[in-house]
Amino acid sequence: MTSCKSIQELIPWYVNGTLSSHEARYVAAHLAGCEVCRDELTQTMRMNLEIRNAFDALDELHEDVKKGVLEKTSGKSLASFDLGSFLLGLSFGASYQKGRVPIRGDLKLLGRKIRLISPK
Amino acid sequence: MSQPRNLLAKVANKDSGAFQQLYDEFANRVFRYALTILHDRHLAEEIAQETMIAVWNGAHRFAGRSKPSTWIFGIARNQALTLLRKEKKAEKLPEQNLVQADPSKHILEREHMSKALEKLSSDHREVVYLTFYEGLSYGEIAEILGIPPGTVKSRMFHAKRKLAEALT
Repeated sequence: MTSCKSIQELIPWYVNGTLSSHEARYVAAHLAGCEVCRDELTQTMRMNLEIRNAFDALDELHEDVKKGVLEKTSGKSLASFDLGSFLLGLSFGASYQKGRVPIRGDLKLLGRKIRLISPK
Repeated sequence: MSQPRNLLAKVANKDSGAFQQLYDEFANRVFRYALTILHDRHLAEEIAQETMIAVWNGAHRFAGRSKPSTWIFGIARNQALTLLRKEKKAEKLPEQNLVQADPSKHILEREHMSKALEKLSSDHREVVYLTFYEGLSYGEIAEILGIPPGTVKSRMFHAKRKLAEALT
């Protein structure tokens, strides 16, 4: 007989969808007949949403860090500029890297970045 | 955008465009993970920076046995723990709020949960973060933390109990 504790230990990963198909079937079969574990599932799903909201509100990494990292790795930034807002914008940049000057360009749409020009 | 695995292979060959894409995909996630461990914005920024530099320098060592995210979070965790040990910051770290002020309608619920998360130990909070925010499996989390999968499950079990207590 399956113990509730062994099922409840798996429920967080049942909720995030990363259990193997075998484990997921094992959990689902138990849930079908156990009200206590169904309550645990409901509580975990609610917790999952609230936790995601809480972590979504964490600070964002500052843009300057990127410049520093790129200077120490793939090349020294020569110039960059950004236009527009969070909703719609364009950014271009050029860097110096081992005698080459790769240029990149991005279109920003609703916070998503779409690469227009990739450094070769 | 290319898959992180392909990007890492290109970064191993010093492809700067691939590295920028990898940075855009992971740097902020690494920063937030470091923030859940360190509770300090400046130290978390340092970890994000050092981790991404380590990815650039060490991409050729990525063996491909794990997911790139598992490998990168593992680097970030080692960097964070080394920093904590080296500077013995554990006791000195200020108890900053994890979450900034936010005028959204969910603010009360969000603040309630963020306060509950702050009451968790670092060990418990990072398991919660990696499971619910990063959506990793318990096996991947075990690999990042270097502990048995059973310990991951047990930490989560107790973390959830503590969260439930804090929320009542």
